[in-house]
Amino acid sequence: MPDKSAIYADNAATSFPKPRQVLDAVAAVLGSMSLSPGRSAHRFSLESSRLIFDTREALAEFFNCPDSSRIAFTCNVTEALNVGIFGLLGETLHPGDHVITTALEHNAVMRPLRHLEKTAGIGISILPVSGEGEVMVSELPRLMRDNTRLIVVNHVSNVTGAVADLEAIGRQKGEAFLLVDAAQSAGVFPIDVVRMNIDMLAFTGHKSLLGPTGSGGFYLRPGFGLRPLKMGGTGSNSETEIQPDFMPDCYEAGTPNTLGIAGLGAGLNFVTGTGLAVIRAHEQRLCRLFLDGLAQIKGVTVFGPPADRERAAVISLKVSGKSESEVAQRLDRDYHIMVRAGLHCAPAAHRAMGTFAEGTVRFSFGFFNTEADVTACLAALEIISGK
Amino acid sequence: MWSPIQQTPTCVVILFSIHFVLKAEKLLKANGISHDVIPVPREISSDCGMAVEFPCLAKERVLELLSSAGLRIAGLYSREGRDSFQAISPEELAAGVVN
Ligand SMILES: Cc1ncc(COP(=O)(O)O)c(C=O)c1O
Repeated sequence: MPDKSAIYADNAATSFPKPRQVLDAVAAVLGSMSLSPGRSAHRFSLESSRLIFDTREALAEFFNCPDSSRIAFTCNVTEALNVGIFGLLGETLHPGDHVITTALEHNAVMRPLRHLEKTAGIGISILPVSGEGEVMVSELPRLMRDNTRLIVVNHVSNVTGAVADLEAIGRQKGEAFLLVDAAQSAGVFPIDVVRMNIDMLAFTGHKSLLGPTGSGGFYLRPGFGLRPLKMGGTGSNSETEIQPDFMPDCYEAGTPNTLGIAGLGAGLNFVTGTGLAVIRAHEQRLCRLFLDGLAQIKGVTVFGPPADRERAAVISLKVSGKSESEVAQRLDRDYHIMVRAGLHCAPAAHRAMGTFAEGTVRFSFGFFNTEADVTACLAALEIISGK
Repeated sequence: MWSPIQQTPTCVVILFSIHFVLKAEKLLKANGISHDVIPVPREISSDCGMAVEFPCLAKERVLELLSSAGLRIAGLYSREGRDSFQAISPEELAAGVVN
């Protein structure tokens, strides 16, 4: 049982708690149903195929994708981003081509790109961030080259909470392929792949979509192909030894994570049932309360956009004279407050913010946090920073 | 069990994967066309997937629905008996001439 007195403020890592219906959906699948969709013709297999189909359809509607078959499931956004970045090579991206990304990328983007830089001679330009930790989209035209084939953008920073202006990027991307990392934004901020002109949207199931770990996926715009990273059984075209070339099967070799996908479907259902605007407003209220409170605490420095800007409830800070790990440890040990200290897998973001290599203490609030949680976090920080 | 489908000549459409079968099922349901999701008959293909069976009377409407949803058809058959099927050729399909 979770410790009732504990405050979980690490929702940017993974959301907690999950809605009751997510737990129920996972248990129902595990307890009553075959887990091997699309492989056999009996009713269990068909039932699990239906669960996956329904989740795919719901995700397509949620992100305004024109065709749900263009959504493939992966085990997280890291896999989706890898499928995108490596899969584009030889298709849309060729050795020597140019890629633009931002200074706020997670290593799930940076490491694949740096690998291609080294092994395929890809050139990389980085969109800089402002002093308040926001990507400077106005710099995009200056960085664009004739051979810019790919733009990779983190929608919401897991370090600063800043929101990238996807619509502006979508408008200016020209012929380049726009790949968006929606790890932190999906389930809180509206995403419309058509309006934002997104070619590929990568998402993870276990953060604000409120699903279990091990779930995620991507949407790929019709007309684009990626070289699959894995090949194998798909339950379709079984008479041939050649990997299918149609979505979603071509990117879904192997028995899928039916449990995770069922849970993701239930999480998404909770999000749409509650309303994105309601979730967003609640998190915004908590964020503002926290930022306003922090401004009153001497010795605390916040890295990220101010409260009156559009931002996520992901707040990075430093306490003067205290190491990040010490602050996090005291919060946990003395106040049962769980946060994350360090680089949050995004060294580039900390370099840009001047907080490399020690990183920051990161608070991230979710829909199930309360104003009382925020007040308790502020009270604890006040004491820690005073000593 | 009595099924309206078995009382009238039926057609079986094969799609490329279970996703498209379920998409077809959703479309037919939404449009009030009676149908069954069935295992692909062994006489048609050795593949282990599912197919959609519906009254041949609704064939044109079904093809129209599938095509407007962008669903590619892997094969279309008319059921001649319990275990026998007749392929409907692409030309016939295009011309829309079969029963
Ligand atoms: C912006 C961003 N991208 C990618 C990831 C990686 O997510 P996952 O571990 O679910 O693949 C995270 C979270 O850890 C993130 O915040």
